[in-house]
Amino acid sequence: MAIRFSFVVPPLAGHVNPTLGLGTELLRRGHAVAWISLDPSLPLPKGGELLLIAGEEHRDKISRKNVYGIESIKFLYDEVLIPLNRYMYDGVLEWIERWGAEVIINDHQLFAGAIAAYQLGVPYATSVTAPAAVKMMEDLPGVHEWEVQRMVGLQRELGLEGERCVACSDRMALLFTSREFFGEMELSSAYQFVGPVLGRPGGVSFDWERFERMRGRPRILVSIGTTFDHGQQLDFLQKVISAFGGEELSVVLVSDADLLPGWPENFLVQRRVPQLEILPHLDAVVCHGGHNTVCESLTNGLPLVVLPIAYDQSHVASRVVAADSGLRLNFKRSKPEELRGAVWEVLREGRYRDGALRIGRSFKEAGGVARAADLLESIK
Amino acid sequence: MDTVVTNQEIFVVLKQFIGEVIGQEFADELDIRPESSFTKDLEMDSIEIVAFSEKVKKRFGAEINFTGWLSGMDIDQLIALTINDIIIFIQECQSLK
Repeated sequence: MAIRFSFVVPPLAGHVNPTLGLGTELLRRGHAVAWISLDPSLPLPKGGELLLIAGEEHRDKISRKNVYGIESIKFLYDEVLIPLNRYMYDGVLEWIERWGAEVIINDHQLFAGAIAAYQLGVPYATSVTAPAAVKMMEDLPGVHEWEVQRMVGLQRELGLEGERCVACSDRMALLFTSREFFGEMELSSAYQFVGPVLGRPGGVSFDWERFERMRGRPRILVSIGTTFDHGQQLDFLQKVISAFGGEELSVVLVSDADLLPGWPENFLVQRRVPQLEILPHLDAVVCHGGHNTVCESLTNGLPLVVLPIAYDQSHVASRVVAADSGLRLNFKRSKPEELRGAVWEVLREGRYRDGALRIGRSFKEAGGVARAADLLESIK
Repeated sequence: MDTVVTNQEIFVVLKQFIGEVIGQEFADELDIRPESSFTKDLEMDSIEIVAFSEKVKKRFGAEINFTGWLSGMDIDQLIALTINDIIIFIQECQSLK
């Protein structure tokens, strides 16, 4: 029987992308699927409905500040997530009722979706698009407890009494990773490992001709994602140029091409790249440890060099190292020579590729969208 | 550790652990003092702080509940944490023996 599913998503590409793939599968099965979001240009699959909450000024707060390390968690909650959830709550509540959602899937950072669903008595599952955040509970329990207090504080403000945090569903939490990559940790039975759901908006143009000509030597992707400020990007780009300019490597770099006046001849620089389409042709990836880029790389059996900047990325990087699928460097401290050395090491030492392939297989075995959709269908 | 150690001795050990975690060549470039904070001055990220605390636990663990102490810290305390805080904590535990 058809079910009316509604996702509640933050305006963050990394958190939206997996829901697009999952939503596509739910639509294919004949369900009605909607997305409650602040983003009017959400690249929804055909048939998906956008339930828009107006609020341009709340959309890209995260990219406006230079944040690093543990302080970034404080920034994330105090200046991004709590205000964002507080702002979206009324709209979420209204859309759930108006659209008649029967099952809510809230992003783990969009707890307003969980609070509203809980208050309305609508069943909800939680989409954990950054699973390393869960792992952090174990590594830094004091920080996790602080996060919970922030969320419970907002719950109270929104009229939900009590100490229990409802942000993550106790019925079902979909972790977009595999047990093998996530690592050991005791979790309640609500947590389900479904593997990463790869899905990015299509229609990105790319200089395939030039990319073809870059064959013949190892080709690597270098990307630090979409949420970091200008200064951080410039520092990083300088390091990347010193590390790889003129090396026997071809570099696809995700960056605004006009940030710098010129680029080394072995670089192909584009602001957006069709990442899923080019990954199968690459040999290694250098990134900041965003969950999606890491999972996409491992799915393609590509070893990684990870330079975590903020949020949960430090934890993602340590999983990459633990899974023997790459190396971790300090984003601020590492020198160009180290970055170059690390890339050559993951390219030359077969064990990193083997590790990446092993994790890639564990992702496929986790079941992906089909399993996630089965689980969601069982919740109503 | 069976013997009570001085602040200076603890500092030397902690400094060595920092070097092991972030790489000795980086540690040498930093001006590491008792008042240095892990987050701001040493720019250590969360996993590095966790790795550092594992080492402290291994070294002093028998007599102090370092992990428990660190686990109890909220985010502001963790951001403000300095080497000296740890030295004082270890000293206090030892004086209670």
